[in-house]
Amino acid sequence: MAGKSILHKILILAIPLFLIVSIGFGLFYGYWNSASPKKTCASCHEISASVEMITQSAHRNLACKECHGTALSNGVNSLREKGMMIINHIKGVADEDVKLNEVQILGVMDNCTRCHKTEQARWLSGGHSARYQDIFLNAKHNKTEQLNFDCLRCHGMFADMSIGNIVEPLDTTGPWKFKINSVSARPVIPCLACHQIHLAGMPQPRPDYSNPQNLFYGRITSNSLVSFYTRHDKIHVSAGNLPILKLWEGVRLVKVSSDPIMRNCIQCHAPNAGHQAGTSDDRTPRGVHEGFSCITCHDPHSNNARQSCNKCHPAISHCKIDVKTMNTSFLNRSSPNNIHWLSCTDCHKGGRRK
Amino acid sequence: MDLPDKLSRRRFMRLAALSAGGIYLFSRCAGPTAEWRFFTSSEARLMDALADQIIPPDEWPGGGESGVTNFIDKQLTGPFLRFQSEYRKGLKGIQDSSETLYHQRFENLNWKEQTSFLELMEAGKMNEPVWADGFDLKFFGLIRDHSMQSYYGSSRHGGNRDNISYKMLKLDYPFIVGQNRYKS
Repeated sequence: MAGKSILHKILILAIPLFLIVSIGFGLFYGYWNSASPKKTCASCHEISASVEMITQSAHRNLACKECHGTALSNGVNSLREKGMMIINHIKGVADEDVKLNEVQILGVMDNCTRCHKTEQARWLSGGHSARYQDIFLNAKHNKTEQLNFDCLRCHGMFADMSIGNIVEPLDTTGPWKFKINSVSARPVIPCLACHQIHLAGMPQPRPDYSNPQNLFYGRITSNSLVSFYTRHDKIHVSAGNLPILKLWEGVRLVKVSSDPIMRNCIQCHAPNAGHQAGTSDDRTPRGVHEGFSCITCHDPHSNNARQSCNKCHPAISHCKIDVKTMNTSFLNRSSPNNIHWLSCTDCHKGGRRK
Repeated sequence: MDLPDKLSRRRFMRLAALSAGGIYLFSRCAGPTAEWRFFTSSEARLMDALADQIIPPDEWPGGGESGVTNFIDKQLTGPFLRFQSEYRKGLKGIQDSSETLYHQRFENLNWKEQTSFLELMEAGKMNEPVWADGFDLKFFGLIRDHSMQSYYGSSRHGGNRDNISYKMLKLDYPFIVGQNRYKS
């Protein structure tokens, strides 16, 4: 009887307590997710720098929760992340570098594609939409080059684990399989690989239509649309702050475009440590195209360059030949004349076309 | 059986008050935020001057412009929590000693005066009581080390603004090196 009485008392206490806590939490949760960000997320000084940037950016009308979700929108991940922020806030430990795990990053990407559908379609049609399975289960690739930690620098920069925890075996014999199958269909180069949402700088202003002639001169220079996410430091580096490649062709210094977007491309399409032209995955233009930026020819999202010749070359060039029909790798993948480092003498031996 | 009823009523009131208080406290966070995490504005101005003395500006930005103050401020509310009291005591000590020696705040001294002041600190020759037991030497070393860590470390820690030291040293950041060693 005594046991039953205690249980009865506990129930009498627990039920109202549960209800009160639920109502209290519900009220708080409702307030937190409906009030202005200035009174909720943005009120924490820890993240004031990030908030300051977003309020100046083109995404300033988005509420924090639209990308970061709520404390309950991403299950345990978001509960843990938000919970740690509160605990650190109480402990007085600055927690201003809000980190998202890969699942959350892909959630942000879903938000990007709500508006940026054209960019998404182009990205899907190009090589940068490769998935983990396309990269890490590619037998030809894996037999040629041993998988290593640095693969994730460009293929899976947001992975929450090391290469050894993603795929096995880490040798060139295979057969390779994922240790965690859930990663297989994830994109290895999501939007945030090249774009930072919390951008520094201001968006382009509306033109001054009272003086349309001055529109060109009223434009501001902005390099902030592209940022490279460096996995080692877990930060985005604005394209304008990325280094310009110093590339050598033997002992000759190649003229490389200073275009910030090209600096971003070079982070992954890079030459070897000696920066010799044409090594590793370097495709920096040389020869007749030396000094060009990658995006002079390639669309940044799809990488498509099929229409690129028309931008500079008239349909019939000065030598009366349509450049698209010349013997280059543009026309034929097996051509010895790689379009990236094509020179005049490749075709004009002794002043005449071969 | 009426005991639980009484308790639950009290508890209800207490929890209701706590819930309301919790919401009130969170809304209190919505007030104006401080410019710095740990430093006061006055301390931050002093830190900028100290950082410029440690890493003087030339054709490249010095410690102040490179964000040393921001780095130390950020770290003091993180991994450097244990140095908070040293900084509070040391920065106050510098201002007090500067007032005693020059009747001016440290950041208002001319360059040579600032340098002389810090040379005394570095040599452990400050006379004021606050610097007893070699605290002058120790605090100078602390600021010097943290300034260097800021200037030459990763910008993710709050210093090395725009990777300025890497550019000065002609280091590529991020490092440009391809991994693709085979031809298709």
